[in-house]
Amino acid sequence: MPHRTRYRLFLFFLSLIFLVSLPLRSGQDLHHVWAVKDARIVTLAGPPIEKGILVIRDGLIEAVGAAIPIPKDAEVIDGAKLTVYPGLMDGLGQSLLKLPEEKMDMTRISSGDFTDKDRGITPGLAAFDHVNLGKAVFEKYHKLGFVAGHVMPDRGVFTGRSALFSFSDPDKNKALLLKDVCLGIGFSPSNFLVYPNSLMGVHAYLKQALTDAVYFDQASSRWLKEMKGLTRPEHSPNLEALAGYATAAKPVIFLCRNQHDVRRSLSLAAEYKLNYFIADLGGEAFEVIPELKMAKARVLCTVAFKAPGSSLPAQKGKAERERAEKEIYPKNPARLAEAAIPFAFSSLGTDDPKAFAEGIQKAIEAGLSKEQALEALTKTPATFLGLDRALGTIEAGKIANVVLVEGELLVKETKVRYVFADGNRFELKEAKPGEGEKPTVNVSGKWEMTIEGGMGMKLTVDFVQEEAALSGKMTTPFGVFDFTGGAVSGNNLSFEMNVSVGGQDIDLFFSATVEGERMRGSVVQGGAETSEFTAKRIPG
Amino acid sequence: MKPRIAAIGICAALLLSLSGWLPAAETAILLKNGQIITVSGETITGGDILVQGTKIVKVGKGLPAPAGAEVIDLGGRWIMPGSIDSHSHIAVEGEVNEMGALLTPEVDCKDVINPQDINIFYALTGGVTSVHTMHGSANPIGGRGISLKLRWGKSAEELIFVEAPLTSKWALGENPKRSNMTGAGPARYPRTRMGVEESIRDEFEKAKDYMRTWAEYEKKAKAARESKGKNPPPLPPKKDFRLEGIADILSGRLWVRCHAYQSEEMLSIMRLCREYGVKLVCFEHGLEGYRITNELVQYGVGVSTFADFWGYKWEAYNTMPQAAALCAKRGVLVAISSDDSERMRHLFNDAAKTVRFGGVTEDEALRMLTINPAKIMGVDRWVGTIEPGKDADLAVFNRHPLDPFTVCEMTMVDGTVYFDRAKYREERKKTEEEEKKKEPEKKDGGEV
Repeated sequence: MPHRTRYRLFLFFLSLIFLVSLPLRSGQDLHHVWAVKDARIVTLAGPPIEKGILVIRDGLIEAVGAAIPIPKDAEVIDGAKLTVYPGLMDGLGQSLLKLPEEKMDMTRISSGDFTDKDRGITPGLAAFDHVNLGKAVFEKYHKLGFVAGHVMPDRGVFTGRSALFSFSDPDKNKALLLKDVCLGIGFSPSNFLVYPNSLMGVHAYLKQALTDAVYFDQASSRWLKEMKGLTRPEHSPNLEALAGYATAAKPVIFLCRNQHDVRRSLSLAAEYKLNYFIADLGGEAFEVIPELKMAKARVLCTVAFKAPGSSLPAQKGKAERERAEKEIYPKNPARLAEAAIPFAFSSLGTDDPKAFAEGIQKAIEAGLSKEQALEALTKTPATFLGLDRALGTIEAGKIANVVLVEGELLVKETKVRYVFADGNRFELKEAKPGEGEKPTVNVSGKWEMTIEGGMGMKLTVDFVQEEAALSGKMTTPFGVFDFTGGAVSGNNLSFEMNVSVGGQDIDLFFSATVEGERMRGSVVQGGAETSEFTAKRIPG
Repeated sequence: MKPRIAAIGICAALLLSLSGWLPAAETAILLKNGQIITVSGETITGGDILVQGTKIVKVGKGLPAPAGAEVIDLGGRWIMPGSIDSHSHIAVEGEVNEMGALLTPEVDCKDVINPQDINIFYALTGGVTSVHTMHGSANPIGGRGISLKLRWGKSAEELIFVEAPLTSKWALGENPKRSNMTGAGPARYPRTRMGVEESIRDEFEKAKDYMRTWAEYEKKAKAARESKGKNPPPLPPKKDFRLEGIADILSGRLWVRCHAYQSEEMLSIMRLCREYGVKLVCFEHGLEGYRITNELVQYGVGVSTFADFWGYKWEAYNTMPQAAALCAKRGVLVAISSDDSERMRHLFNDAAKTVRFGGVTEDEALRMLTINPAKIMGVDRWVGTIEPGKDADLAVFNRHPLDPFTVCEMTMVDGTVYFDRAKYREERKKTEEEEKKKEPEKKDGGEV
């Protein structure tokens, strides 16, 4: 039973850290079989099933139908008030990435010793290597119905490679669906005095690089085949990384800041015969509909609805711009749908999952039907990424990425109750009344924390609070651990910390209520094990 | 078979004309009763211009309006060929300089045209109908430029003046030396005028070598083909778009537009171009051109210059407001250009200065705005004068275009009116009134 072994290992390390004895709970969390009964099931593979049963076993959908037997070993969820949807998918985003921050070395810059990274040429940069998954992150997505996301670095010219994750497990190896799927091509030149540092330079560079990559691919394979009489090509990591995309074996994603970038991308793609997607960052695909149609282009549609600086409304001043952003740009998705241009929604340009969901809502208000929106978040992205046999609809044999909602999905106040991601159940509680309030306390400074239970333990925490945002570091006998992304609302705080001990990554969730110079709260691991703690401020 | 094809053809033509697919051939515009500055000949008082589709078909007095023609009464106002701004940077998206490399003939303004640059519209308000928009002057050899017709509202592709030769922007003097660059970044070769010229020569030699390599490859490939499988086909050399850009310069496919101020370096670069057979058509700014008019005429190089703009850096000191006139009087092809999205709106004022300061004739001054830049851009067969057969690119003024108080009233490109001041004012008034109406509504809405 590998699962049990891993679980025990987890507990072992936890108790090592907190020196608490953790009771093993009932077998509930070991369950792998669920049945949702009496629910409305929007399968997207056919008409909705009004009162149906969905059986999930070991990560996959085992069966779905109106009158199918409920397996004996299944834990049953009463779905009488629930609607089941396929899990939503972010067609392209980058908020899950945590790229290493690099300090600007001015001595190096002023000596002109530029790296490929300075030039924005990072075709080898893999989203997989820098993804930041975690339970807190998942929760933000889960409560809006998102169960998978396509992630890609978006800076520079060759921005890097994408990866697709299920929001199921903080361990990226388990959460991964596809690795190195697409390569990003951006039109943002370097800020340094290094080639290319203009938009026209970027275009010239792209043409040369794509040509070189194809040449490198052909010359290398020819040398491997013949060898005699041929000079072998010089190795180049960049060209090697590019080759698969330049030869159209894999798709590229053009990150288009405006309609002009879209047109330029279409002609680049045609000239170099690329397999491609148009990421419509500028939200101006509606201006290029005939061309997109003719090229049979696939679009990743954003929902920030900001008029790009190059657009006429933006050039005409603030009033025109605001009017366009209210009246014209939100219609972009509806117009793509109307023209039958295949598109998936992308969170690029929106700050967080909430803003992404609000943007989708705006698109619906501007004329996109809910069905079209749902398709652009399920079937279409699954098809785009070649995963339509595994995701996108609720069908037997597919990955169990589903959402259970009270009422409907894609409404203003979505009430997601459960999410299944890779068959793992996540229960979502209603928002606590304290959540979302303005902070009434500032916890910045040093605190002494006492974990209760077991033998007890004393730690030091340095909090840094900026308005509602909380970060800091925790000093323990096992090392110092940083955390970011915490939040303070009212007098409540919460933060997530990832602890690596002995090769194991453990996510710990802290939440507490602050009263003056003291706080009291709990620490949770994996949604199950809870210890209480108290803390008091160290004066000074 | 043949009659059948003809029948189909006639049917198709009928259908097309019925459905309005051939509007160009159908629409005729008669511009009546204007003071026509033809530039190619005498100014016609009380003259008419007949425009059919995109072309001027007749110019004269008392022309009858063909059936169905739109008649525009100029009411004695002045009409001239649309101005042509041969040195512009409008409608280029992003930086106009690729600073990351010394020589960048592979970069191309054509790749980054922004047809929604509002400066296109502003240019039309000043009677400009074509521009040559180009790379900046940071590099000895910069990127390729492109000539545009200001068909405001059309796509990037549709703006391109397709008949115009492609150009290569060069630059001499302080800018490519980067004496005006401060701040981060290493010093870049070259730091002297000698170095600027040498960097060009060096690249020419590299490109010749590159062309030889390809020629040799073609030879080997041909031999391999003829050997019928005995010799394996050779591996082609690696493509290098930068050197191919240089090769295009050496073959004369690209016309060279060279930014320069000082007479010595102009002379020097003319010698280099002669040596390599490069088609150098024009010095940009060329403020000291008046000192070397004989050489300019001999080599057939024009200047695209300012009327009275100088002294902004040391290499731009040795000139005077008479410079353009002096060049013109000695037979140099002179174009007055803007290099600026504000100046381009009143190029006619700048042309007038050459009359005021340099004493050239009004006709000569107007040539500097029209046919001269057209020649420099290689488009004089299509634009630059009011003559039958030329594109209907026209600008209407309320006074003589060289009058200090003149205002451009209407601008037409290819027979289509893209700017009409009266209509524009009306529309603006309407939107402003609508805005006013909307505001109280908003307030009411806010209170509810």
